[in-house]
Amino acid sequence: MAANSNFPKYQSDGTRLGNALEWFDARFPLTSLWKAHLSEYYAPKNFNFWYFFGSMAIVVLIIQFVTGIFLVMHYQPNANLTPAGLPIAFESVEYIMREVPGGWFIRYMHSTGASFFFIVIYLHMFRGLLYGSYRKPRELVWIFGVLIFLCLMAIAFMGYLLPWGQMSYWGAQVILSFFSAIPVVGDDISTYIRGDYVVAAATLNRFFALHVCAVPLALLGLVVAHILALHEVGSNNPDGVEIKKFKDENGIPLDGVPFHPQYTIGHDLPANVIMLMFFFAVLFFWPEGGGYFLEYNNFLPADPMATPEHLAPVWYFTAFYSMLRAMTWNFFWIDAKIWGVISMFAGVFILAFLPWLDRSPAKSIRYRGPIFKVLLAFFVVSFAMLCFLGTKGVEYHFFGYTPSKDSSPLSILISGAFHTKLWTIYYFLFFLTMPYWSKIDKCKPVPERVTFK
Amino acid sequence: MSDQKKGCDSERRNLLVATSVLGGAAVTAAAVPFVASLAPSERAKAIGAPVIADISKLAPGEKMVVKWRGKPVWILRRTPEMLASLEAVKEKLSDPDSEKSAQPAYAKNAERAINKEYLVAVGICTHLGCSPTDKLKPGTDEGVQEPGWQGGFLCPCHGSLFDLAGRVFKGQPAPTNLEIPPHMFDPANPNLVTIGVDPTDSKGA
Amino acid sequence: MKTHAIKFLKRFAGVVLFVPALAMAAAAIHLDKAPVSTDQQRLQNGARTFVKYCLNCHSASLVRYNQLEKIGFKKEKIEEELIFSGENAGSMMTVAMTPADAEAWFGKAPPDLSLIARAKASGAGSGADYLYTYLRSFYKDKTRPTGWNNKAFDNIGMPHAMWDLQGEATAEVTFDKNNVKNVKLVAPAVPGSMSAEKYDDAVADLVSFLVWMGEPVAGTRKTIGIFVLIFLAGFYVLTHMLGKTYWKNIH
Repeated sequence: MAANSNFPKYQSDGTRLGNALEWFDARFPLTSLWKAHLSEYYAPKNFNFWYFFGSMAIVVLIIQFVTGIFLVMHYQPNANLTPAGLPIAFESVEYIMREVPGGWFIRYMHSTGASFFFIVIYLHMFRGLLYGSYRKPRELVWIFGVLIFLCLMAIAFMGYLLPWGQMSYWGAQVILSFFSAIPVVGDDISTYIRGDYVVAAATLNRFFALHVCAVPLALLGLVVAHILALHEVGSNNPDGVEIKKFKDENGIPLDGVPFHPQYTIGHDLPANVIMLMFFFAVLFFWPEGGGYFLEYNNFLPADPMATPEHLAPVWYFTAFYSMLRAMTWNFFWIDAKIWGVISMFAGVFILAFLPWLDRSPAKSIRYRGPIFKVLLAFFVVSFAMLCFLGTKGVEYHFFGYTPSKDSSPLSILISGAFHTKLWTIYYFLFFLTMPYWSKIDKCKPVPERVTFK
Repeated sequence: MSDQKKGCDSERRNLLVATSVLGGAAVTAAAVPFVASLAPSERAKAIGAPVIADISKLAPGEKMVVKWRGKPVWILRRTPEMLASLEAVKEKLSDPDSEKSAQPAYAKNAERAINKEYLVAVGICTHLGCSPTDKLKPGTDEGVQEPGWQGGFLCPCHGSLFDLAGRVFKGQPAPTNLEIPPHMFDPANPNLVTIGVDPTDSKGA
Repeated sequence: MKTHAIKFLKRFAGVVLFVPALAMAAAAIHLDKAPVSTDQQRLQNGARTFVKYCLNCHSASLVRYNQLEKIGFKKEKIEEELIFSGENAGSMMTVAMTPADAEAWFGKAPPDLSLIARAKASGAGSGADYLYTYLRSFYKDKTRPTGWNNKAFDNIGMPHAMWDLQGEATAEVTFDKNNVKNVKLVAPAVPGSMSAEKYDDAVADLVSFLVWMGEPVAGTRKTIGIFVLIFLAGFYVLTHMLGKTYWKNIH
């Protein structure tokens, strides 16, 4: 149902509260906002569990905003050293953990929230892939979503510098060095991003400003745009059919249910309680997430003189980090380093073109053919492999194999470097060849109405 | 709206009430660490720990200032004349018996002190938090226009006048007398005064 | 531009290629499982060892002495037993020497140990396992400037601080055909004041204390966690039942 501003204004029932509400509603579109986006926004009645993750992302967003505000009250973006030789930024994070009443809870919420944000966003995006949620008329919904994902990556990357530990420092150092690959202006760009010749106090302070203020504002605006665009065109569903085609005499879709309360209370609330159970299980029993949510080396203060032994980004970046590392050839007189940067960014931006790459007659996987199903399964494998390999060193081999000096064909086949390249190529080919295979795939007939048991 | 009413059976209403109550309780519980984080941290408490002042070098009629919880705490060694002035100005005071003012019970007396020779007071005006300046000499030598000035303190921000026991004069912006912090004299060495601890405590610092 | 990029790649490759070499070296060292305890007596024992043997060179500047009340020390006891530098219980556990002095004297400032048990975790084992193995792996080595080496941390810059407890441990050092160093620890030639079992116990207590110090709130956190999860499980049942009532009339 499209957002409609022609809802009748609230009429007081004569009580004092009713009068106040009528006064307010006459001056502010309260009723129409409520109705347009909640109580009279009609969503398809056949949502399944894949439709939980959008609401979960909002819950995590709220957690990150609230905890972030409280952390800013105590955190100090200061690279100077305490008398005991620890950077003040690093020390202030531990100050929150140890000395601020309840601070450990707030900080762990924020660090756990960062990982959970990516978990729910990746699942939310995968839902879109499964059911063709990016297809016409939802192209803008999808593009706003890709921009939100970019913002999220920027926030996470900048936020990760703030504890000023070894991984913070060297992670930023390595990634920012890749900007210097850009021809002609690259060195200047990375210097301007850092504000110094290496990652330094200036970088910490500007990343703080961007992390707590600029990018969250952009993110919030994009989230609003994402939802407004969605409510303009209406939600997709697991059958990938348009519910607006069949309406009753009041113009209400026959297969639609009000978003509130059927989906808010009846669907998302219990699901979010489950998510919070996972969230708090990690927070209270597993806050380091096995070294993936909080990396062990980040408990060492940043030392610009010594790189940590094992350098890997946080898990949610590792897939794109793998794409960066996959490029080791110099093409067309252009350095591999530049190709690495290009492929890393292309890995994200290519998602934005999905609405035009997919030419299948059916939107949903339920009615799409075997080619899509097989290729999508391998796409999941490729993404998981790239995630996994990004956490490992370049010399990693599967099955705990240690290569000898002479590399046999077998040792290449089970090497991480080979699989990084292989699955990066697959990742891109999946998208680039989509216009071809999505068209020839044998789809099943799509029903007129949604299936609802 | 009518849709909702139709489905509003008693089972749902009970569940809604139970969910709201438990949900409210959960949100309240989750708010506890956030509210708690606004309280002084362990660092602030350590910095705000009791301080010990050595008053052996303080001559009669002199004042020294020590920092306690980030605030100036005055220690004024009062001469017999100064102590006598306290009785003389009593009529002009807003709260001469410190009924409305903040002080430990053992300092709720005419001298507002546990040891009447020494005034130990937080040097922060009870009006809007400025620190009053010394106008210890009687008369108009120090520019105080109050007739019959016996010595005391003048707040530079809004002109509140206090006597030598930190008691505020009538008709001043400051509502109450200066706060007297908990303080004790070391029984073994009367030249050491601890600020921030009541004498009943087993051990200072 | 191009040479710059290549240089960077080489350096970068150098770093990442170095990783497996280290990982292999680390994998070659078997880490003993540390018997980490949360028993207050053992933590206090560890705290005493820490103050006596570690706190002379290594600070724990994120820890306030009065936080040791959480492992059962009385406030007066802390000042009597643990603080020798005239600081009060509200001070941080710092050392007298400045990081600059320490760097001048030792070449590298001894690291702050507040978080060492969390920082030393790796694929090979927990930080506690590493510390427990490391503190029991010193041996006499004449080739080192300090006269000490360590099986878990080859060419360590730090001497054996607790040699008077363990004794002067020695090791048989051999090199295999690939020139890989092989160290076999043998019983101390000069015995210390503790038997081997007693020393292991003392190290276990010390490591338990270091683990506690890495995250003093860990115990509280787990206790609260149990209640939160039980509550949420119950709350889920309720919200699930409530949610179902909104769908029963939708066909």
